[in-house]
Amino acid sequence: MSPTGGRYEILLKDFQSEYRPQREWAEGRGAFLIYGHFLVGVASGAWLFGLYYQDVISLIAGFILAGLGGLAHLFNLARPERFLKMMLRTATSWVSRGFWGLTLFLIGSIIYLPGHLFPGALWPVESLFSQLGMLVSIAGSIVLIVYMGFVYTASKAIPFWNSTLHPVLYISYAFRGGAAAFLLSLALRGEAVGSGSEILVIWIAVTASVIILWAFEIQGALSSGDDTARASLHEILAGRLAIYFYGGILVIGLVVPAFLMAGIIAPLSPTLLALIGLTSVAGDFFMKFSSIKAGVYMPVRVHGPGHIKRT
Amino acid sequence: MRWGMVIDLKRCIGCYGCQLSCKAENGTPPGVFFARVHKQEEGTYPTAQTIFLPVLCNHCDDPPCVDVCPTGASFVWEEDGIVDIDPDMCVGCRTCMLACPYSNRYFNDEKRNYYGDAGATPYEQARVERHQEGVVMKCNFCRDRVRDGKDPACVENCPTIARYFGDLDDPTSEVSRLIRERSGFPLHPEKGTNPRVYYLPA
Repeated sequence: MSPTGGRYEILLKDFQSEYRPQREWAEGRGAFLIYGHFLVGVASGAWLFGLYYQDVISLIAGFILAGLGGLAHLFNLARPERFLKMMLRTATSWVSRGFWGLTLFLIGSIIYLPGHLFPGALWPVESLFSQLGMLVSIAGSIVLIVYMGFVYTASKAIPFWNSTLHPVLYISYAFRGGAAAFLLSLALRGEAVGSGSEILVIWIAVTASVIILWAFEIQGALSSGDDTARASLHEILAGRLAIYFYGGILVIGLVVPAFLMAGIIAPLSPTLLALIGLTSVAGDFFMKFSSIKAGVYMPVRVHGPGHIKRT
Repeated sequence: MRWGMVIDLKRCIGCYGCQLSCKAENGTPPGVFFARVHKQEEGTYPTAQTIFLPVLCNHCDDPPCVDVCPTGASFVWEEDGIVDIDPDMCVGCRTCMLACPYSNRYFNDEKRNYYGDAGATPYEQARVERHQEGVVMKCNFCRDRVRDGKDPACVENCPTIARYFGDLDDPTSEVSRLIRERSGFPLHPEKGTNPRVYYLPA
């Protein structure tokens, strides 16, 4: 190792490789972005499901996870003390829009939650103020759900992310996270559900859309003619991230919860619901972990024989 | 006025003079290369050859790095179109690095010396330590030099005169003439960024 430190050596080594892995949002403080996107994705989904089912546990979970996700986003910044400057460029920057989304979400949920948590003490849930808070929180959570995927799509240097499917995939995962959070909430309350209940149907539908989107994403990367996108996909399917894809996304995130949900092992008791929720959420984490880690920079090179005169 | 650069790949001998002169001019810390020489192998034996590709910020007309920046730290100077970074505004989110299709943005994550435990040399104390940590850095076409009527350091110090600097808006400038007459091409035109650094075929 040179006196200048290991990271410098890694950078020089990366520059010598054909496909330079992105480390900015994957290693060191960059890993906090993976946690941040995972947390706010589940948080916004849980909040929307909590509102739909009027489930206080999901609402509280959404609020706490969003707060933790916000902290993770802050830890990702090298200069967190300047974070307020991030609200300046909403016209073009999805990061800036995400900042506003999280801010609106937290403000709205702080206004809306007390009516549920302390009935009679502050303002009631039916009050105009509380309903206004709910609307603000819904707007914030929608921005949060949408912003994550678009942040990656705007990354022109990473062809695997620079895909129109990425935002849709992230939206689907947020709803899947929300459904999983609601299943966990049911388990905490000790409620069992029947095999045809609405939440299970929603989970299956969202999971099916996630599977289809992954298939499109893989097919898109393979047929795009872009070697860099294929290199990213290779990392996921047969490279250093394969264990997370097959073990984390497929087995833990899809096969195990689907198996449990089918009632093959036992009727859907609260314990099974908790297991389904936890494995589903764990699978979502591995999805974000894998797709972010798989990002590789497109090589800077001269294309085409017309640019090089043969001697 | 649109400053631009032309790099003649036929003249470049891969001496790294541009990289060194840039380091000397800008005092960039270890791990930050405003100008860099990329070695590329072309073809297969017995017709294999090495192409030297000097790279730097392309100062795009439609810079994706500026669009994605959440604070406005990355910006374009209106009078000359140079893409620059205001280090006081940068929060170190590194989004711009992932948006740049040319990988010409660098993150100065921590204080680092070229000679490790020996500490900063007097040169580093004078030049390197003025840069902020925790911010992204990149080439700004040596804007201070250009405003003083000089060429950027990499252009001035290229021993084979492989680099040319001038106004792309002026059809009579040398850069415009070279692009026109020798089929100058930018890198990754498919990304739609309209770069202002052109290359002449080797």
